Amino acid sequence: MQKTISRVNFEAVLANQQGQSRWPDGALVARISAGDDRALGELYDRHGGMAYALAVAIVAERADAEEVVADAFGQAWRTALQFDPGRGSVAAWLATITRTRALDLLRARGRRARALERAAQAGTNGLAAPLAEMAVAPDRGAEQQEAKRLVRHCLAELPEPQRRVIELAYFGGLTHTEIAAELQEPLGTIKTRMRAGMEKLRGLLAPLLSGEGS
Amino acid sequence: MTDHQWLELAASYALGALTADERAGFETHLAECATCRAEVQAYGEVTGLLVHAAPASAPPPELRERILREARRRRPLGPRRVPVAPWLAAAACLVLALGTGYGYLRERAARDQASRALAAARDTLAARDSLVATLLSPDVGTAALAGPGRPPSARLFWSPSRRRVVMAVFDLPPAPAGRTYQLWAIAQGKPVSLGIFNTAPDGRLTAAMVVPPNLSFEVTAVTEEPAGGSPQPTQQPFLTGKVAAD
Repeated sequence: MQKTISRVNFEAVLANQQGQSRWPDGALVARISAGDDRALGELYDRHGGMAYALAVAIVAERADAEEVVADAFGQAWRTALQFDPGRGSVAAWLATITRTRALDLLRARGRRARALERAAQAGTNGLAAPLAEMAVAPDRGAEQQEAKRLVRHCLAELPEPQRRVIELAYFGGLTHTEIAAELQEPLGTIKTRMRAGMEKLRGLLAPLLSGEGS
Repeated sequence: MTDHQWLELAASYALGALTADERAGFETHLAECATCRAEVQAYGEVTGLLVHAAPASAPPPELRERILREARRRRPLGPRRVPVAPWLAAAACLVLALGTGYGYLRERAARDQASRALAAARDTLAARDSLVATLLSPDVGTAALAGPGRPPSARLFWSPSRRRVVMAVFDLPPAPAGRTYQLWAIAQGKPVSLGIFNTAPDGRLTAAMVVPPNLSFEVTAVTEEPAGGSPQPTQQPFLTGKVAAD
């Protein structure tokens, strides 16, 4: 596995975040807020794969994941006027909506997240799938593939216990108290791991973060 | 708790991993700590990138059509015209009481507005163009929205020709669960919804809203409403401001 992340790759991702090649995401959202359903279709073509993969990672069942993504894009459609570019990218906005919907559905059904099942398997590589799986990713555009690759590389750099608590919080929607109970470890240990892991991840991903890239 | 201890909660807060009590305490602290707000912002971006860690999984082809079909049945939320409300007189009185601190608010709002506009431009060229065009349009009017003598406050830029309002809100904690904030234009004595909004954990928001055609107004107001907004205000406004041409 290649451990060095080239500068060029980061720049490809950044170029896409700035929407240089196609209709910018923000323009799509503006068209959506005006009731243009073709723009919603384009937004789905661009980010539907990301949303679906996130939903599957959280709720596991494909039928549930479809419901989550349909709900999430329905919410994006109805509330596009509230999207504020100053608070983050369109992709981040959609991911937040999708994750919230997915965790709500899990809680409503009293089910455990897929992340918990994964965590129970000791010695796994965490949630991050083998890189070979990425060839079938449905998202259009090499940039999203590149972002996936970068984030997974960075996650793989973390000590496994740190990565696990971050994944349990993000994909499982668990508080650190719940994670401590799940893993049967002291709460202080979990808090320390989460903080250390996020700090390290922040450093590794700095080129993708606003105000921290060089 | 010392400031250092608060700072250590920022990453977990961004991940949504704090318990309800911890979160409430931290959000209270956030309202007065710019350092922690910046940490939350940075860790929020890190959290946002975690979506890419989900294993690839292809949605079924019919999901796209399902989404479009459901969308066609329901239009996006937009501004609606609403009937007269009795709290207008109170709003008008508050507006008359404005004036003190106007210059200060105006300067601070303009400065923050500029930096927020820059952040917006990084994400989308189209949003930037629309926002800047509104701010720079020859007919732009401005309003300083304030409550009775203390934060929160808001700054509003209104371009009749572009039918856009750009609003910058300061020091307004996010609305509680199940509630939202709603911006109203007061047109010939009637409140007309310009849209609903919520602030970030740092108490701020910059947003552009579309104004209905042929609507002219001089007074704007903000109320807190049930989630999804109300057809007409259900509460007294806590922020009001009169639009003045610059």
